[in-house]
Amino acid sequence: MNLEKVVFGFFVLLAATLNFGFFIGDISDPTLHNEYELFAAVVVNLVATVLKFGDRTQIGAVHLATSLVADLQLIAATLVWAYATQVSTEGLTASATASVVSLSGGALLANVVSLVLLVVETVSFRRS
Amino acid sequence: MSRKLLDSVRHLVGREPERKRRTRRRSPLATGVQASATVFVILRRMRAPLIILIFIFAVSVLGLTLIPGQDADGQPWRMGFFDAFYFMSYTATTIGFGELPYPFTGAQRLWVMGTIYLTVIGWAYAISALLSLLQDRAFRQALALQHVTRKVARLREPFLLIAGYGQTGESLGRSFDTLGRRFTVVDITDARIDALELNTHRADVPGLVGDARDPHNLEIAGLGHPWCEGVLALTDDDEANLAVTMTAALLRPEIPVVTRTVSAVVADRMRSFGDPTVINPFDRFGDHLRLALRSPAAYQLMSWLESGPGAELPPRGSAPAPGRWVVCGYGRFGRHFTGDLRAEGLEVTAIDQRPGDHDDPPTIIGDASDPGVMARADVAHAAGFVAGTDNDTTNMSLVAEARRINRELFVAARQNQPTSAPLFAAMEVDALLVPTEVVAHDAYAQLSTPLLWRFLRELPGQGDDWAAEMVDRLAGACGTHLEELWKVRLNATEAPSLGPWLAGGELTLGDLLRSPVDREQPLRAVPLMVLRGDQCVMAPGGEFVLRTEDQLLLAGRPAVRRQLETTLVVDAVPEYLVSGRRVPSSWIWRRLTRSTPRRA
Repeated sequence: MNLEKVVFGFFVLLAATLNFGFFIGDISDPTLHNEYELFAAVVVNLVATVLKFGDRTQIGAVHLATSLVADLQLIAATLVWAYATQVSTEGLTASATASVVSLSGGALLANVVSLVLLVVETVSFRRS
Repeated sequence: MSRKLLDSVRHLVGREPERKRRTRRRSPLATGVQASATVFVILRRMRAPLIILIFIFAVSVLGLTLIPGQDADGQPWRMGFFDAFYFMSYTATTIGFGELPYPFTGAQRLWVMGTIYLTVIGWAYAISALLSLLQDRAFRQALALQHVTRKVARLREPFLLIAGYGQTGESLGRSFDTLGRRFTVVDITDARIDALELNTHRADVPGLVGDARDPHNLEIAGLGHPWCEGVLALTDDDEANLAVTMTAALLRPEIPVVTRTVSAVVADRMRSFGDPTVINPFDRFGDHLRLALRSPAAYQLMSWLESGPGAELPPRGSAPAPGRWVVCGYGRFGRHFTGDLRAEGLEVTAIDQRPGDHDDPPTIIGDASDPGVMARADVAHAAGFVAGTDNDTTNMSLVAEARRINRELFVAARQNQPTSAPLFAAMEVDALLVPTEVVAHDAYAQLSTPLLWRFLRELPGQGDDWAAEMVDRLAGACGTHLEELWKVRLNATEAPSLGPWLAGGELTLGDLLRSPVDREQPLRAVPLMVLRGDQCVMAPGGEFVLRTEDQLLLAGRPAVRRQLETTLVVDAVPEYLVSGRRVPSSWIWRRLTRSTPRRA
């Protein structure tokens, strides 16, 4: 067992699950989407991205790309959230919540691709 | 079964096409891989510090949002993620705006105290990791490698690959640089590559620190580059030279290879790969000295031309009186040289301490610095003396001793170390062998222009008086420092204006070498040789009739070269040179005067 692989798999999976946890629920209902979960998703995604640094294989490059997409989406979601809570006079409205959650949904898709890659990599490992 | 048979038949029959295809294939040692290597090194090394930094930030921010605080009115209040991240950002970067938006409670301050120390550690770790990465040897090498790879890939003109940048490589590099030729360098010692960067070359020279025996390094230095026009293996290690020769012959069989060795065995092994030019300095020095014995002027001319542009005219030695030679040191050099002298029909007394395990032992076995041994060799009645051991101090003392015994001796010495050069210069020996210089001059003669090499090969057959006259003419045109030799091919691209004149057989060399401004003034250029097909005419005279596709080797100052180039390109000039009639060169003036130069 390779500890590096365990850590890597853990963070990739955790990034996807946290993202999913935040995403699930009525898209415009702020009470169903916990900001702590978003925070955790951002942090874990960043860690997963850094873990993917420096892999020179083709699959490693795609891994990094998916993670960067997820980061981008999640950071956009947090920016929208920060704007809604701090700048906008109306606070966290249904529409603001909807855009935060839909952005995190995009990140979720990228994270799912990342998961698929992880599984593909694992499955093809024995065969080659 | 049948397939196997078919394969073996294909193997037998298809060998030739296979080989041909191989010559055209670019070698698979791709250089693009290194291009992004440095980025990957940085990313890989920065993984741990970055993750720690993210972790510290995350924990600090999370803690701040969880710890209860108070607002300005003393009401319970919790910090949001936005405020927490804002606070951590300015605290971690040591900017420190204070406690925003409300003054902190004791619990918050306790937490913040911990996070401050944590973030400082995190930053310090990340920055020190980055700095130590910049200092790292492997990283710097990766950076240098990438730099060289990029520079080589951007070369868009023919260049030579020099493997081994010692004495030979350096002096050769300087000559090629003067000629405006580009080259790349691979050397195993980084001091030499540093020296390369400090040298003031006209062109930028990519230099790679690496073992030339590694094909990968040669590939980076441009072996697979379409503009690579030649490989020089000039390291001081025979095996490395062999490896370079081999690599070049296998990966780029179509480009010429020049290599050096002092061992006949290694030379044979080198020749089994393609058709490399193997330079054995001992062998070449023997040839040179034989030429010097027969014809001092030819030797003078040869060594001048071989030294490259800017070389000072070497003094003309006097041929030694015929007679017996004494050779001290009967190793590889001594043996070679004695063989050369004996081939000239000279009697040779060879001295060496070791009896030697070959079939031909030295004539006298003993220490040459021993006066008794010198007396036995009878230096007093010898004509020539060679100090050819592999120790410079011994060689110098031998020369001094021999001169003490016999003032009239013709003395040749071998210089092994470059540091001994001033001492040997002060001793003023009649002929000095510096192996590195011999190799550099020879390689220069072979690669600078093929015509020069041809000229030098024809030179020994021309006689002493002819050579003396050539030296005088060259000195008249160039002065005491040799100017650049250049080549002109009389064809449609290099000499478009001469087309009809050459076809008609009306242009003589004397007419061509007149000043385009005033035809009464001859151009001060010396035609060394004309190559027509496979025939060469040495030092053709003014009445020599030129034809299309003739190749001229000329020597002269750069201004003269430019004047000749005017003649070769401007339509109106040849007419003036031949007949003295001025023809206008612009279209409108031609219309006005109703004259046209002859066109092809």
